[in-house]
Amino acid sequence: MTRLQTVVRWAGPILWLTLALPPVRHALESTLTLQMLVQIPLLALVGWWLRPFLPDRAVKVLNAWNRGGISGLLLASFAAMIWMLPRTMDSALNVPWVELAKFTSVPVLLGLPLAVSWPRAGFVVRGVFLVEATATAFRLGWLYLVSPQRLCSNYLLGDQQLAGNALLAIGAAMSLLLAWKLMWGHVDVDGSHRRSHA
Amino acid sequence: MASLTMYPDDERLAGGERIAFNLYIVTAVALFVLMMLLGLTMRMTQAKWLTVQSPLFYQLLSMHGAGMVGTMALVTTAVMWFFLRKYVQLHLWAFVANYVLFMLGALCIIASIFVGRYGALWTFLYPLPVRGFGLWTSNTSALFMVGYLLIGVGSLLFYLDAAAGIIKVHGNLGRALGLQWLFGGKIDPDHPKAVVASTQVIISNSLGILAGAVVLVMSLVNIFFPTVVLNALLAKNLIYWFGHQYINATIYMGVIAVYELLPRYTGKPYPISRPFLWSWAASTLFVIVVYPHHLLMDFAQPRWLAVIGQMVSWGAGFPVFLVTVFGALTNLHRSGIRWTMPSRLLILSMFGWAAGIVPAILDGTIRNNLVMHNTQWVPGHFHFYLLLGVLAMAMALMYHVIGSRVSAPPNSSADKLGFPLYLAGGLIFTYAFLDAGRLSVPRRMAEHLDSWTFTDKVGSIGAILVVLAMLYFAIRISAGLLKQPSAGAAGVSTADAAG
Repeated sequence: MTRLQTVVRWAGPILWLTLALPPVRHALESTLTLQMLVQIPLLALVGWWLRPFLPDRAVKVLNAWNRGGISGLLLASFAAMIWMLPRTMDSALNVPWVELAKFTSVPVLLGLPLAVSWPRAGFVVRGVFLVEATATAFRLGWLYLVSPQRLCSNYLLGDQQLAGNALLAIGAAMSLLLAWKLMWGHVDVDGSHRRSHA
Repeated sequence: MASLTMYPDDERLAGGERIAFNLYIVTAVALFVLMMLLGLTMRMTQAKWLTVQSPLFYQLLSMHGAGMVGTMALVTTAVMWFFLRKYVQLHLWAFVANYVLFMLGALCIIASIFVGRYGALWTFLYPLPVRGFGLWTSNTSALFMVGYLLIGVGSLLFYLDAAAGIIKVHGNLGRALGLQWLFGGKIDPDHPKAVVASTQVIISNSLGILAGAVVLVMSLVNIFFPTVVLNALLAKNLIYWFGHQYINATIYMGVIAVYELLPRYTGKPYPISRPFLWSWAASTLFVIVVYPHHLLMDFAQPRWLAVIGQMVSWGAGFPVFLVTVFGALTNLHRSGIRWTMPSRLLILSMFGWAAGIVPAILDGTIRNNLVMHNTQWVPGHFHFYLLLGVLAMAMALMYHVIGSRVSAPPNSSADKLGFPLYLAGGLIFTYAFLDAGRLSVPRRMAEHLDSWTFTDKVGSIGAILVVLAMLYFAIRISAGLLKQPSAGAAGVSTADAAG
């Protein structure tokens, strides 16, 4: 294993430790937008990068319960659902064990299942997941924008609305990206390329 | 290029495919009869020939609207599946999943209307579903919306499976639409029109379903958390973006039957052309952005959206319609076509689509819209193209398939009687709506003034004829589909079939 490969292999734990450093953690939790759209996605990325640490035997056992990647994507969706709620993001700032739960559950229950399941998912399953993710971005953005009161006691209304606008922008960007890819891009429908690496 | 063989082998339905197709069609024709009976009840109530209490009338109107739109989508999905599976790999599970989710959604909708007394119409325009004024509860509206979500998920699964099949063969959706041939190059004469039309439907209706998924869930959030107040205009924009594309997709799925079947009955090839590809490319864009013509009367709507709505209305309907009707007439000209039921229905569908689109374009013009939009002109237009256009396209395929069971296109004496009955009834019924629109009779009203009832009575007579004809068609088609195919039914040549 080259030095670069070693670094890549340890990228997940390194990123996790970086995100857990108090100054970084405080900075990324200073606004709702940063916590929701930067810190949590980065924690999910940590989970994705933890995939090489999963023993082959465990992968085999998981695959038996993860046909077409559906179970894993469902698990990731439920985990994401929990960490989309203003209440949980708010509690993470006030209650240490909720913060700990965030730092463990997002990588393990969101990022890792995504990494295990995505290569196994076919075009239809991926399509449903991406359409639902796009719709969720629009819905949450709309919700944050129209909510008449502060949803988090730690964040101001203006920050909440910024998060709403950012989510709408993410939804629009995802729609355009998907449309472009399907219309003019190259799409690996069979997933044969990815599956061979799974 | 579409086959000229009347019943080619690659269209043969066997095993699970046959069961699934039969389920779609038998369910659809049964639902059409039931929904038409509801429509007849409403027209006769407006004509004062029947007495139906207003709350029940709006329940019937909700059921009729949601039921007809859904059933049109169901049956035209079967049309798209029937032909598209010849050119790309489609999975039966996706086709069946769409059916199962449709039925579950339909059960939710039926329960919300007939048990929960939902009466906020198929458009569920915010905030009406949450303002039942004691006639229905918010939970009832939630059940109705869950029904829509289930149906939408079913459609999405089917479209994604179809997209996967198309992309696997053609690389991406742009190439499947034939965009690479718009400005030059030799068009592949074997590029299937069914693929072009299906691709358009997948693109536009998936976007529509996305909009529907957003607004339906937000409406549910509003139901359970009333403090989250929605922007009614934004909700209406999303609802019509979804609704317009969903119902328009039925035309574009249904017209595949014309492209595939007409050449077999005329015996003349129906080649693909650059204008054809241009028209479908333009229509793909236009159908996505045309929806604001439903909101021309909303004074708060941004002016630029209203302008887009009008301009695109004039452009959206024409390309595909002109190319298809011109192509069909060219194909028909001096063809020596034999007038059997499928060929009659195909040509009727061209007429229904063509004539039905004209009042739509008139209504899509702002000055006309101000005085026409809330009148029966609008149901006149959409009943015209749905009843005599889209349904005729779907029934052409149904009759064609039952012909494959006996190796000859159906053309019994009863069919020869049923067709003019359907045509005459349909014309009387739709022209009564259009004339009522001309007379400024409002739409969506349970009770009509005495001076409005003449067109209601004429419309009711037309509706009775249509229901009788449809009842016959439903029995004939269901019985025909349940027959075992005769040996050697496939592969009958055009010449044989045309006699």
